[in-house]
Amino acid sequence: MTRHGLRRGLRVFWWLTLVFLYLPLAVVVLYSFNASNSAAHFTGVSLRWYYRLMGNEALLSALGNSLLLAVVSSLIALLLGTLIGYGMFHHRWRRLGWLVVLIYLPLVLPDIVFGIAEMAFFVQVERLTGWLSPGLGTMIIAHVSFQIPFVALIVYSRLVGLDPSLFEAAKDLYASPWQRACHFLVPTLRPALISGVFLSFTLSLDDFVISFFTSGPESATLPIYIWGAIRKGVSPEINAIATLMIAAVALVAVASLLLGRQRAGRG
Amino acid sequence: MSGARVAQAPGGRRALGETGHLLLTVAPGALWLLIFLVLPGIYLMSVAFMTNGPYGQPQMPLTLDAFERLAGYGILGWSPANLYTLLRSLTQTLVATLLVVAISYPLAYHISTAKARWRPVMLLALVVPSWTNQVIRTFGWMNLLAPGTPLAGLAESLSLIPPNMGLYPSNIAVTLGLVYNFLPFMVLPLYAAFEKLDISQVEAAQDLYASPLRTFWHAVFPQTLPGLLAGVVLVAIPAFGMYVVSELLGGGKHMLLGNLVARQFAGGANWPLGAAGAILMLLATFAGLYVMRRMGRRLGGGNEVVI
Repeated sequence: MTRHGLRRGLRVFWWLTLVFLYLPLAVVVLYSFNASNSAAHFTGVSLRWYYRLMGNEALLSALGNSLLLAVVSSLIALLLGTLIGYGMFHHRWRRLGWLVVLIYLPLVLPDIVFGIAEMAFFVQVERLTGWLSPGLGTMIIAHVSFQIPFVALIVYSRLVGLDPSLFEAAKDLYASPWQRACHFLVPTLRPALISGVFLSFTLSLDDFVISFFTSGPESATLPIYIWGAIRKGVSPEINAIATLMIAAVALVAVASLLLGRQRAGRG
Repeated sequence: MSGARVAQAPGGRRALGETGHLLLTVAPGALWLLIFLVLPGIYLMSVAFMTNGPYGQPQMPLTLDAFERLAGYGILGWSPANLYTLLRSLTQTLVATLLVVAISYPLAYHISTAKARWRPVMLLALVVPSWTNQVIRTFGWMNLLAPGTPLAGLAESLSLIPPNMGLYPSNIAVTLGLVYNFLPFMVLPLYAAFEKLDISQVEAAQDLYASPLRTFWHAVFPQTLPGLLAGVVLVAIPAFGMYVVSELLGGGKHMLLGNLVARQFAGGANWPLGAAGAILMLLATFAGLYVMRRMGRRLGGGNEVVI
């Protein structure tokens, strides 16, 4: 009897938690269709805020910056991270403790310390040499720095999980290291490479704090643009942009659910 | 890159020994991290020991001024403002972590006892909100807690807040935002621990007529401890360094260490003071990681702790 009560209590608690988690997002979506520009009253359904977005050049350029930053930084991180991951695996019997510390450093640093360290450094370098003025370039550098560890660790764990005899076979099959890399390593690492670059891409898109401190006047990304708009005062337009971003996440979530189902069905 | 290529050039493949191979693979990325992460970190730390210049730029005579300022000693004498901020960071982190733990235990248990086909869906449902941008999530809470909203109205009618005031900026709003942001980071490792739970220990406790509380404490809790530790690392450390939530839902009166640090680099323009705050934050982070690692090792399953 009490066990039954516990079950029911847990189920209620579960649904309450979901309400807690989704309510702030639901409010954003709801107000994005609000005809009035008051945040407290919902007066009717309208798409006026969405129409206003389309003519907003600052917003479109922020979207472009976000995508460019994510693509370029994740590709650089893919190259450097894969090399490190492979090197760590190949030389795993050596003493590479310093490398492990180096790799974990970006993961444990608080975002805010990461961001201001980069900013202070870039400002000082610019003062001394004239290079690295804040903009997309400095943001790419900062993003690659926090993306490298993720790619390296994903590649490394994939290599560790492989059957060691595969490497022997590849050595017998292909004479040159290049052939081995092209015909054996890259194909076997493909899942790790894809998830590494995908994770880097989403981390870059999602980042606010580090971008905020390394950006220049012309290089605002979407989260920075939204931050600025919020600081200027809550406008219903922000709800509309935010709703589009929530919709993108929802699409990815549904896709991952369907993919998971399909894979489970096959297995 | 170029250094690695030189190692390859002279003798072709044979000259490219194991060290050359190491250089070719590890060096480019390691150099990148050394130049663009370690060097800035060292520079930031050295800034903390410099003098604050007239325009906020760090200057040469090395002093401990910044640390004195951080402790509250200024030109106008001592003020407790910075210490309050520090204390607030600690209490907010503690309260938010405890709340997250209290919410996560029943949730993780509930998911682990659900039908197998529903578990991935439930986990996804918990995680999806955290895929949206942090700024947007926090903005959602600003919408909910603003003056005139039902929640604010309810608090007003209970005379918890004065009329026509929103529920933010306030300490409670910051706690709420922290809990909201970090809940999934606790549920996931706890769920992993619950999934591996040896149920026979629980049954043994129940057979001995242990009360539910004692059963939990002696049969369940020790088994989920590695998951709990991993969760605490994932929640407490980023919570202590929080910037976005406390800036938007707290503001100047309720700021945390992260906001204090950031302000010195933007408007406040006292780099040494900000850098001293950053050092404090780093020390707290590494101390926290160290304690968690030690506890994880003592449990035997040190590898279970994520970091």
